[in-house]
Amino acid sequence: MKIRILKPGLLSTIQDMGRRHYLSQGVPLSGAMDSLSARIANKAVGNTDDQAVIEFTYADAGFRAETDLLIAYAGDGMRLQCAAQILPPERPVFIPAGTVIQLIHSSIGVHTYLSIAGGWEIPEVLGSRSTCLAASFGGFKGRSLHAGDILSGIGQLSAISASLLRILKNEQINFAKWSIPRQLILPANRKVIRVTPGTEADWFNSQSIVDFFLAPYILGRNSNRMGFRLEGPEIVRTKNDELISTAVTPGTIQVTGSGQMILLMADGQTTGGYPRIAQVASVDLPLCGQLKPGDTVYFKEISQREAEVLYLKREDELSKLTTALKSIFL
Amino acid sequence: MFHSVPGVPRAKTERFACNNTGIGLHFGSIWGYFRPLFCAPKMVNSDKKMVAMKTLFKSDPKLPIYSLSEQAVTIEFGGEISQDILEVITGFDRSLNQYPFPGFIASVPAYTTLSVFFDPVRVIQSDEMPGAACFEKVSAYLSQLHEKLENTTVATGNIVTIPVCYDAELGPDIAEVAKIHKLTVDAVIQLHSTTEYSVHMIGFLPGFAYLGGMSESLATPRKGTPRNAVPAGSVGIAGKQTGIYPLQTPGGWQLIGQTPVKLFDANRVQPSLLKAGDRVIFKPISRLEFDHLVAAE
Repeated sequence: MKIRILKPGLLSTIQDMGRRHYLSQGVPLSGAMDSLSARIANKAVGNTDDQAVIEFTYADAGFRAETDLLIAYAGDGMRLQCAAQILPPERPVFIPAGTVIQLIHSSIGVHTYLSIAGGWEIPEVLGSRSTCLAASFGGFKGRSLHAGDILSGIGQLSAISASLLRILKNEQINFAKWSIPRQLILPANRKVIRVTPGTEADWFNSQSIVDFFLAPYILGRNSNRMGFRLEGPEIVRTKNDELISTAVTPGTIQVTGSGQMILLMADGQTTGGYPRIAQVASVDLPLCGQLKPGDTVYFKEISQREAEVLYLKREDELSKLTTALKSIFL
Repeated sequence: MFHSVPGVPRAKTERFACNNTGIGLHFGSIWGYFRPLFCAPKMVNSDKKMVAMKTLFKSDPKLPIYSLSEQAVTIEFGGEISQDILEVITGFDRSLNQYPFPGFIASVPAYTTLSVFFDPVRVIQSDEMPGAACFEKVSAYLSQLHEKLENTTVATGNIVTIPVCYDAELGPDIAEVAKIHKLTVDAVIQLHSTTEYSVHMIGFLPGFAYLGGMSESLATPRKGTPRNAVPAGSVGIAGKQTGIYPLQTPGGWQLIGQTPVKLFDANRVQPSLLKAGDRVIFKPISRLEFDHLVAAE
C-alpha cells in the first residue's frame, strides 16, 4: 500500500506513541499530540496502538492512493473527502488505487491521524518512529512531509487487518458500518481540563490559585507542538526562590518569571526551571492536543489518586476495544 | 525483581507500614500539598564518601518522593547543587537501571532530583511491589532500593576530553569576554581549559549538558541581542555557566570557541556524547587541527 502526498498542509509529521527511552539525554518524548485519536486510527485498521501514523495539522492537504489502501483516520482537524463523498472517521476505509483524497477543514480541533493497515513503513530511530523536529531525526527523513513524498505501508498485515481488507475490498470506496466511538471515551465537556496539583503549587498566592480554577484561560497564538501559552489572569508568586532545573513532562504547566503559564506538550523539553502549578491528567492530554489558538479552557482539580484511576480505566477500555475487534474479526 | 538486588532481603513489613502512612495522606488532594516523607536513611561511617553524604542529609534527614504525573515520580536528593549530590544521584540511577522494577521505562537525572518514568499498567499488575496504587508501589521500591544501596551508591562518571578551538572566528565573543574581565584572550583560554567540569544533567536540547565548575572570573552576562543561528558545537558562557550547543539553534550565549565533536548524533548507540555524572575537560586545539577533525567527522 502506498500514497503520494499531493499537498502537505500546515505541518504533517510521522508520529507514534513517542520516544520514551532517551529522556535522560535531552531527547523530547515527541509522539502524537492527541494520542487517543492516533491509537483509535490504528485500532480501526487492526494495527497495534504503537504503529506510526501521519499527524495532520488542520486541513488544506491531500494525497493520492498509488495502490489499493486500507486506512482509517481519527481526530478533530479535518475530514477526508473524495469528490463529494465524505469518508467517515474512526473505522476502516477501503480506497481503490488512483483515488485522490482531499482533507477538508473541520472547525472542532487541530490534529487528525491517518493510519494504514500494517502501519507506515518508517525506520525506528532511538526506539520510535516519531519525528524529532528539534534535532531533525526520526519520522520521514527527520522532517515534516512535503508534496511529492511517497509513503508505504508495511506489507506484513496483522490477522485482523487482513480480515478487514478481505471484507472491505471493492471496486470503489468502501467502509465499515461500525466505528470506534471516540466521543464516548472522551468526557462530555471538552472545555474542562482535569489537573493535579503541581510540585510547586504552594509557591503561588491564594488569589492566583482561585483564578486558576475559576477563570477561563485562552490558548495563545505562540503555541506549537512544544508547548502552549495560556492567557488569563496573571499568576502571582509568593515564593521567589529560583527553582533548580528538574525533569518535566508533557502536561506540566509552568509559570514563567512574568506570571505567564506554559503547558508543555509532546515536543516539550525534558527539563525545566520554572515552578509548576499543575499537571494535566494524562487522560485529558489528548483534549489539549486538539486546542487551537483562541480556544478557552477551564481547569478542574482532581487528586493524583483519581488521575491514576482514570488512567488505568482508560487503558482498560482501550484494551477491551482491541479484544472486541479480535473476537469479531478473528 | 525485588529478589534480584544482590544481598537484599525482601522488605520488612513495618518499613512499608511506615511508608504507607505518608502516601495515604499524600492522596488527599489539597493545595499546599503534602509530600510523603520517608524514614531517615541509615548512615554508614566506614566509607569516606559516606561522611560527605552524612553531612548532606543532616539538613534534610528525609528522602522525599513526589508524583510528577501518573507515569512518573521524582526523588528529591537535596536542595542545593553540589558535587556530592551529583555522585549520589549518579550512583542511585546506575543501580536503578541495573535493578529495574516491572514497568520501569526510563530515569532522568537532574541537579538535585532523579525522575523515574514507568508504565502504570505494568506497575499495577505487578504483585512484586507492595501497595495498592502505582505511586505507592514505585515509591516503595525506590525507597527500599535507596535503603539497600546506602553504603554503595556513590558513583562518578567517565572523564571526557573535548577538543575546542578558541579561534576568534569560531568564538566571536572571546575578545569581548576578555575585555569585560580585563584579561588577555590567552588568559580566558587558560582559565576555561584548565578546569575539570562536571555534567550535572542533560536537558534543554538533545545532548545539551549543564556543566558545573567554571571559574567565577569568567562569569559573563548573556548577549543583549541573541543570535538567530548559533552553529552546532559552539562553546559559550552565560552567567556562571559554560556549555556547548549540540545543534544549530538561536542563542544568546557569549561564544568563545567551537568543538568539532558532535555532542548529539541520533545514529550513535548513546546519542548524547555526555551523560550526567561525567567529567569534562576542554583541550585547546589549533584552527588547523579543528578543520582536520571536522573533515574526519
